[in-house]
Amino acid sequence: MRARTTRGAAVLALAATGALVLSACGGGGFSGGSNNAPQSSAKGPVKLTVMIGSSGDAETAAVKKATEAWAKKSGNTVEVIAASDLGQQLGQAFASTTPPDVFYTDASKVGTFAKAGNLYPYGDQVKDANFLPALVQAFTYNDKFYCAPKDYSTLALEINTDLWKKAGLTDADIPKDWASLEAVAKKLTSGKVTGLVIGNDINRSGAFIKQAGGWVVSPDGKTMTANSAPAKQGLAEVQKMMKDGVLKFSSDTSPATGWGGEALGKGVAAMTIEGNWISGAKKDFPNLKYKVAELPAGPAGKGTLLFSNCWGIAAKSQHQVAAVDLVKSLITTDQQMAFADAFGVMPSTQEGAKAFAQKYPESQPFVAGGQYAQGPVNLPGFDDVMSKFNSELATLGKGGNPDAWLEELQKNGTAAMAG
Amino acid sequence: MNARRSKPVRTIVLYVAVLAFAVLFIYPFLIQIATSFKTDPDAANNPLSLVPNPVTAQVWQRIFGQSGSSAVPVSTWVKNSVVITLVVTAGRVFLDSLAGYALSRLQFRGRKAVFAGVLAVMAVPGVALLIPKFLMVNYLGIYDTYAAMILPLVVDAAGVFIMKQFFDSVPVSIEEAARMDGASIFRTFWSVVLPMAKPALITLTILSFQGSWNEFSHFLVVTRGTTEHQTLITGLASLISGGEGASTQYPLKLGVALVTTIPVALLFFALQRYFIRGANDGGVKG
Amino acid sequence: MARIDDQRPVEDVVSPAGARSTQAASASAGTPTGQPGVPGAARVRARGGIRGREGIAGWVFVTPMIVVLGLFLVIPIGMALWVSFTNWQGSTNPFAIGNGTDVVGLKNYTDLFARDGLTRDNFMQSIGNTFYYVLLVVPLQTILALGLALLVNSTRLKGRGFFRTAFYFPSVTSSIAIATVFLFLFSNTGVVNAFLGYFGVDGPQWFNDSRGLLHLAFNAVGVDDPGWAQGQILGRSLWDWLSGPSVAMFVIIFLVIWTTSGTFMLMFIAALQDLPVDVDEAAALDGTTGWQKLRYVTLPMIKPALFLVITLGLIGTWQVFDQIYVMGKGKPAGTTLSPAYLSYQQSFGNFHYGSGAAMAFVVFVIIIVLTRVQRYVLTDKDERKPLFGRGGRK
Repeated sequence: MRARTTRGAAVLALAATGALVLSACGGGGFSGGSNNAPQSSAKGPVKLTVMIGSSGDAETAAVKKATEAWAKKSGNTVEVIAASDLGQQLGQAFASTTPPDVFYTDASKVGTFAKAGNLYPYGDQVKDANFLPALVQAFTYNDKFYCAPKDYSTLALEINTDLWKKAGLTDADIPKDWASLEAVAKKLTSGKVTGLVIGNDINRSGAFIKQAGGWVVSPDGKTMTANSAPAKQGLAEVQKMMKDGVLKFSSDTSPATGWGGEALGKGVAAMTIEGNWISGAKKDFPNLKYKVAELPAGPAGKGTLLFSNCWGIAAKSQHQVAAVDLVKSLITTDQQMAFADAFGVMPSTQEGAKAFAQKYPESQPFVAGGQYAQGPVNLPGFDDVMSKFNSELATLGKGGNPDAWLEELQKNGTAAMAG
Repeated sequence: MNARRSKPVRTIVLYVAVLAFAVLFIYPFLIQIATSFKTDPDAANNPLSLVPNPVTAQVWQRIFGQSGSSAVPVSTWVKNSVVITLVVTAGRVFLDSLAGYALSRLQFRGRKAVFAGVLAVMAVPGVALLIPKFLMVNYLGIYDTYAAMILPLVVDAAGVFIMKQFFDSVPVSIEEAARMDGASIFRTFWSVVLPMAKPALITLTILSFQGSWNEFSHFLVVTRGTTEHQTLITGLASLISGGEGASTQYPLKLGVALVTTIPVALLFFALQRYFIRGANDGGVKG
Repeated sequence: MARIDDQRPVEDVVSPAGARSTQAASASAGTPTGQPGVPGAARVRARGGIRGREGIAGWVFVTPMIVVLGLFLVIPIGMALWVSFTNWQGSTNPFAIGNGTDVVGLKNYTDLFARDGLTRDNFMQSIGNTFYYVLLVVPLQTILALGLALLVNSTRLKGRGFFRTAFYFPSVTSSIAIATVFLFLFSNTGVVNAFLGYFGVDGPQWFNDSRGLLHLAFNAVGVDDPGWAQGQILGRSLWDWLSGPSVAMFVIIFLVIWTTSGTFMLMFIAALQDLPVDVDEAAALDGTTGWQKLRYVTLPMIKPALFLVITLGLIGTWQVFDQIYVMGKGKPAGTTLSPAYLSYQQSFGNFHYGSGAAMAFVVFVIIIVLTRVQRYVLTDKDERKPLFGRGGRK
């Protein structure tokens, strides 16, 4: 062991040489850069892999049924994989040579995936489906429309009708602006019940920012507007209601709840702001009776947030032509309504949304929200930035300075945009 | 035994201390077993209680029953875990002892350098290896295959080191006799030396079994995470990640965790002696 | 298992950073006739006419190991080092420059320390977290392991085997399975809070509480984000650096101590059992109290084992990953982030493989430096070797 360091150095030299030699041999299992023309390898039947992040058995079954229908019609085969952790699995799959051909892409991830070269932009091939403008914007990055939105959800105000009636309120009292929201929340706050309970991150408080006329980034996605006056105004409103005791984050209620629906169901909230998925609360709390209304308007008008996934197609996929064909079959009004029936999401096309509103009139506020909703921040590298902001926002209940957090968000976001 | 020192008070203190710690160390496992027989609301409302009320085998039916439950495909997980563990353990026992023997007994050019390499590899902390392994697996084009899960694990530097140390301590005379008789080197190794190495081999078997059965981060980076290649451990991890704080389906999760623990536990209780030796020899990754 | 008359330098007892005790391996392997030190002579005799055949056989035997270790450990490290100098995002060939991957030199490394931004913030937070983590875990698990070893080794105890098994068992189970149990124990309505409830204490929301211990202590005396703590060190304010481990991090600390004490307890037991009994008797005759005996007699004699345990502890604590992955992935507010997990997340979550690789190498270097420093500090002055550079056999 005398000459250990020399031997150690020799080992390292061996490693370096080995690595250089291998690199000279090319990438082996790594594929080259992406090209923009659609790829289509074999002429005969192809096998497509579709990876989804399923909300449950109903969704998985519905997707399987839809893809099988297309497979039969086109003579191909489709394998549907329900990922347990879609983000992580996709991330790793992208580095391999065979990522899934089609996969759910959350709007907030479009920029990250696109910048890393993982998405095939086929948006112009499906533009004639007439998607909601907010959705097109949500899935546009760097002026390219990347993928077809498969559905969407918006936030609305859910009111516990029992507590509402008990406080002596009627339909005429449904808040239409911030002032009436505050008044109503005050009336409903008593004892253990808080008037309004919402989730503790940008995905709820952001609605107030939108209502004040601002957002974290500019509409073209090229500048940060986190420290703009409307943004600060929006959060100031949240803080004001919190200080008055009529608004709480779900993590601050006692007992603490995981989301607005749980707060509503457990009776610690009279109102909450949640999306279409609020229907899931009925399963856990069968006695819950609630009514849905559009969110009140802020100083700049009505505003809400929308969340959506699209059918992403891998840049490395060998069957892009077939994949686009499959996606086209999945966004027809009939198919989207079938999905809506199965697991409650709203169709992403104007026509589909109208059909949905007709069939499910009680979801009208959600549908209406699609006309003035703001999609999530979809820029690359913003995961960390938003999560840092969210962790600060979550402490609003214990005091703190939202303006400072917005400034920090501005700083971090600008840095992320640059690099 | 010095009679002066056997004060009863000290003995009582000793027992109290030991029993207190024993409770601390055993209770979580007891709770785990008990909760796997509880219903979800019972687990949420009476977490401390070791007695389920009502007792239900719901969780176990779900785990061992019809594979209709897509969320918990335990049979796939078990299959993968068993296959991989057996192959890796067999591989390690054979290849490690081969290499250890050569490093200990056989004179060949560069032996010192190779051994220094083994030591250097042992010095690399695991954290630095996740990305490198991912890169190599992709480079070789074996991403998300059984080959990627097994091959990198099939030889480990620590095992080689243990075997080499052991062979160093064995007197050469018996081997010498065999060689003088004309036996080939491999024969000497296989028929003469290996049987003498039984205790070390058992230790190595146990360490390898435990290491590959409980392996997590390696499988995490070399597979896509789809059910096809999930082991009990990666499957359990996908089941539980994301549920901190909120009370969700703990009986099921604890039941699956129990299933992952039982094989190693059985092996442990049967072969404790060797486990303990193994801990001293190779250090179990904490 | 060092003997008290072992005069060999600590170097030989504790092999580099990987730290397996050499005598422990050979002695405990159970050969009745094994004697360290003899093989040297035997080796000379084995050379001779069969050297050529031996040479080939030697290489054949060693080849599988070289192939596997070289292919999956050594060369990949070189590859990762290369990637750490690029801006590879995962979808192109990292070795084909210009076609989507560019060489960026040391940028990934300087971003971790010098560039004001989220990468540095997160990395520094993970380093800060790990300092507190190491500061708590290593001493506590060493003390607990030693304490348990002393208890279990006590001659007065009946059923030592049972207790030894009980204490060691957690080390044998998978870290993920244990994490599952602890997620249950420390959930908001879990065992620990129920237990605290019996004493009228309202247990915190363990996994959602990001308040640091030191911050809580400061708050208790009325100090909160004071002016004197506003100075920035590497991008974080002094106040942030002084946060202490968060409540959520404590769960992980408990978990790790609970799991690893058993292994180290065994090493201590082995060391204790190697101590000659006559020293015990002499100490008793001299009338030393238990505490004095522990401090002045036992501890110095088990120093090699102590050394080993601390080294292994240091190495292990810097690499905690599995538990972070399933217990919050850094939440709440990044207070449970570890550099190992951050490296993973940066690569596989944000697709900044270059940055993630750079982080991994920085941690690698930190571990090596720390183990060297620790060895230097803990060896006797007369046995000390230079901090860096060759430390060979005398």
